[in-house]
Amino acid sequence: MQRNRPPSAQTVSVLLALAADPTQWRYGYDLATQVQLKSGSLYPILVRLADRGLLETAWEQGEGSRPPRHLYRLTSTGRDYVAALPAVRRPKTVAHPHNRLSEA
Amino acid sequence: MLIIPIMLLGIAVALFRRSSQAVVYGPRPDAPLQLPRWATGLLSAQRAEWGQAMLGELAHIEGRARRWRFTIGCIGAALLLPPWGRASGAVLAIVAVAVGSLGVYASVIIRYRLGTSSLIGAAIVATFLLGFVLAAVVALRRPGVAVPGLLGCLVVALAWMAASGFTFSNMILRVWPAWALPLLFIVVPAVVGGLGTVWGGNAAAGRRTARLAGISAGVAVYLYGTVAVAVFGAGGPADDSGFSATYKINDRLGNNLIFYLALLPLVTATFGWSAAALTARIMQLPDHADAADLPAASYVSMTRSYVPVTVQYDTEPAIRGGVAAWPRSARVALVSSAVVGMFALAFATGLRG
Repeated sequence: MQRNRPPSAQTVSVLLALAADPTQWRYGYDLATQVQLKSGSLYPILVRLADRGLLETAWEQGEGSRPPRHLYRLTSTGRDYVAALPAVRRPKTVAHPHNRLSEA
Repeated sequence: MLIIPIMLLGIAVALFRRSSQAVVYGPRPDAPLQLPRWATGLLSAQRAEWGQAMLGELAHIEGRARRWRFTIGCIGAALLLPPWGRASGAVLAIVAVAVGSLGVYASVIIRYRLGTSSLIGAAIVATFLLGFVLAAVVALRRPGVAVPGLLGCLVVALAWMAASGFTFSNMILRVWPAWALPLLFIVVPAVVGGLGTVWGGNAAAGRRTARLAGISAGVAVYLYGTVAVAVFGAGGPADDSGFSATYKINDRLGNNLIFYLALLPLVTATFGWSAAALTARIMQLPDHADAADLPAASYVSMTRSYVPVTVQYDTEPAIRGGVAAWPRSARVALVSSAVVGMFALAFATGLRG
């Protein structure tokens, strides 16, 4: 059964980071650095977003002996979802929620 | 005891084989790459893409500290990412038994007023149990290990209880008949490892089955032994006397830890591992089911360009052989008959013992 819980602050941060330029494919590590999330938090969020059809994934062929790299961007459903996010759930910046606490 | 040198010899052979493989196949990759490779193998088949995503990303991260930070996060994610399937029920059961053991242990401390020094023992037991639960999570997340591993747990636990004649006093004092030592320390672990290999169709499945059986049986038998101490306290047969009640209870709790949380899992895993290797060699089964460990086929559909292309993944379960490949009804019939047979055998031997 699909649960419709409101997204966590971390999930909103990831969504907003992806929505900043919705046509651009993003790397996982770059996303993690931008929203200041650890990989252990980022990947479960990406998995859930992909499961809900808000995120599409692709592979970029690795250079030389390096393995292929996974890429992410919002689907059109994902863009609509971000646009429909209530203003109260949007952080002032795309930074980690902890930063916002420190700003307060 | 002859068992300990045999176990040490087995471990030495395993280490020697690993180092000789390193000479033949070259050095292994660095730990930040090797650990997530291992961890992503724990993901369910439909999450294989995400395991590859983590590994692919790691290969593009520079700097040892950054790589380690990324690696640790990936391991945590791989360990916890759902779906867990049947493993979730088994993990809950093991957690319940472990928490139950701690609860009974605490009740013994309170009831018999063992004092604050016994809290050190409780902390050691809690550490063991936590480690076992984590190890069980790792073992259960491997595809095709839960059913044979838990069946193996049943075999091992019943064998240890049968050796004590299903009595609390023998469980505490470990008054075993002559046949018990070779049965508990060699035959039962070997049967579990061997059948796990046949079930999974490769030696790695047998080793994992033996490990899971040892861990889960250790936790289960430890609970039984702790309940036995809670019931008997310092009482029991007349020959077990000469010490204070507190000393006796602490001694019994400590012996339970050594026998059921240390020795039982160790001998089961070690001899089960040996039997798995032997069975695979005799039956000419592979050492690993590669498709189950690392979904390398994910790379097949890559394009040669640098333009991102969405790849369609095969989300079918990993290729499995042996009994795991049988029809479901045949497996259920086999498991049911095995369980009934084990209970009958255990009670027959236990009642005589």
